[in-house]
Amino acid sequence: MVRELLGYLARRLVRLVLSLLAVSVITFGLLQLVPGSFAQLSDVGTTTLGNSSGGADPSGQEGAAGWLEYFRFMGGAITWDMGPTYKYPQSTVEGLIGEAFPVSLSLAVPATLLTLLVAIPVGMLAAIKKDKPADYGSIFVLTTLQALPGYLFALLLMLILAVGLGWLPVRGWAGPEYMIIPVIALAVQPTAMLARYVRSSMLEALRDDYVTAALAKGGSTRTVLIRHVLRNSLIPLVTVVGPVFASLATGTVFIEVLLGIPGLGRLFTLAARTRDMPLLMGTTLFFALILMLVNLIVDVVYGLLDPRIAHQRRLSGWRRPARPAFLVGSMHRKRSDGGSTRAGPRTASNRPDAVRVDSASSDAEVSG
Amino acid sequence: MNPSGVQDRHEPGSRTVDADHDGPTPTVRRLARRQRSDAAAPRAQSELSRGWTRFKRNRLAFASLAFVVVLVVVAAAAPLLAPHSYSEQDLLNGLLPPLSEGHLLGTDQLGRDVFSRLLYSLRTALIIGFTAELVALVIALVIGLWAGWLGGRAESALMSFTDVMYAFPSYLFSVLLVVVMGRSPLSIILAIGIAGWVTQARLVRAQVLKIKTFEYIEASRSIGTGGFAIAVRHILPNAAGPLLVTTSFGIPGAIIAESGLALVGLGVAPPTPSWGGMIVDGYTFVLSHPYLIIAPLVLFGLTMLAFTWMGDGLRDAFDSSEEDHA
Repeated sequence: MVRELLGYLARRLVRLVLSLLAVSVITFGLLQLVPGSFAQLSDVGTTTLGNSSGGADPSGQEGAAGWLEYFRFMGGAITWDMGPTYKYPQSTVEGLIGEAFPVSLSLAVPATLLTLLVAIPVGMLAAIKKDKPADYGSIFVLTTLQALPGYLFALLLMLILAVGLGWLPVRGWAGPEYMIIPVIALAVQPTAMLARYVRSSMLEALRDDYVTAALAKGGSTRTVLIRHVLRNSLIPLVTVVGPVFASLATGTVFIEVLLGIPGLGRLFTLAARTRDMPLLMGTTLFFALILMLVNLIVDVVYGLLDPRIAHQRRLSGWRRPARPAFLVGSMHRKRSDGGSTRAGPRTASNRPDAVRVDSASSDAEVSG
Repeated sequence: MNPSGVQDRHEPGSRTVDADHDGPTPTVRRLARRQRSDAAAPRAQSELSRGWTRFKRNRLAFASLAFVVVLVVVAAAAPLLAPHSYSEQDLLNGLLPPLSEGHLLGTDQLGRDVFSRLLYSLRTALIIGFTAELVALVIALVIGLWAGWLGGRAESALMSFTDVMYAFPSYLFSVLLVVVMGRSPLSIILAIGIAGWVTQARLVRAQVLKIKTFEYIEASRSIGTGGFAIAVRHILPNAAGPLLVTTSFGIPGAIIAESGLALVGLGVAPPTPSWGGMIVDGYTFVLSHPYLIIAPLVLFGLTMLAFTWMGDGLRDAFDSSEEDHA
């Protein structure tokens, strides 16, 4: 068991490194397409292609072949020493990321907690009231909320709470009261998604025989719901909460820029607007790293929580639950499995868990 | 755990169970509706026209469609409807409140007419939304059909590429593309389209894999129809329902992306108006002149709601296979 787990981890880590390399190559290759040297490019401004308005090369390495630059950067990235940025030669890329990440994190953690606190009861309620007006109503509201971007809620909240009522500051980052609007705005969309997920997961659990058994033993509805149904339906939740957290920790770009919060997203946009190559590479890689790490953690934890999955893996060489595969190797097996379950009775459901995970995580993938 | 119990729930026959995973709207009601309409509809009708019949019954979705049509017409007629030019400045009459003379929604800090700018930003949003989605759809169709139909090496290469793209949050990727290509409308369209095709390519591929196993494809092959003809004549029409649904969600997605890019200062270059740009400009004066933000926000919100409800209606009506959303 332990050896299998370690082997699995090792394989996943190798894949993670490979896909990070792929991301870095794509990013760097894209940025190479910009005419002129990176250091010479100033603001993206109002112009289009080919605007290379002056500016000395602060790194003093004019003419260095692009790929040399790439290897130098990647070498530095591995040792967490990515050097100075072009725009702010006095500060280093890793220094700026190190300052910005805690800010983003301090939004992501409360937003994730808020999401859980709201989504689980709402989803449960909708599942219990299945096919009643409360269910229809909440599902309608949830689908609608899920389709609207977070920055729209940020603006709405800002207009109501800050401009209209004057309770909160309009923008900035100087204390806990500045966190309220972004945290709520960030939480809306994942809450809607998660609540729908909890609902379908609960409905599935409600159909299980052990629920009937527990009720037959004389357990009250409330006890059965909380002790059996909720517990079991929360396990697959792990696969959703992880990515939600990851996307909040990295994907707060629009809200951070809008509300003037000095987080990672704003750093990335700043780098993009000023075409600050090292900073852009650094933040992109950091984003990708977080996303992949969280996915890895989710997969491992899921296997530990649900022994059926681990068992499944033992049977088929640690087949991981169906989540977006990042890497070449796993895709095949996984895809063809997924394809054939869709295709119909060919493989039918001889892998109950695989099917269950597949269908459960598809919800997450759609909105992810 | 009772393994057989788990298994039972996934028997192909138990439709309601599978459908619950989706749950965008009350599934049971939807299934009931579908069955009813299926029974009523004559057999000769195509799947698409049956879907259309189902769609028309959904009042909210139908009203949303009508609203979207109105939006498109207004956007197309913006030059005729707008009382002023979107870039005409009148610095002496800046920041006029709404309902001022000659300016229905007032003017911004440069004295430009907010109503006219709003109409033009609707135009910007819709043009970029529709064309960016078209770009994404074309890429997705080519790659998805190729990967699903040919299989083998081509498939693994293409799908591993989509996997790397999955690790790239699409907004990061489109920001990078804008950095590379600049801020002209065309490059924004390409940036959003290129960043957004991944999910749809997967959907196309899944559809092709499914349809490929059907007997009519085998029959068609056995009478010697070429691969391209099968793909165009048999696979595409049968995959049309789910594709229509993703497209209808892709358009508002592209509009959100466009406004988002404009919000972070990487949208269409000024003076071309865009919601995101108007909101950012208005932010400076939000305490004294909140209408500068409210106007674009309301129109943006209404547009998003209409697209969402329309998309939900289309999904209910056309997407017979909930599990294909992945």
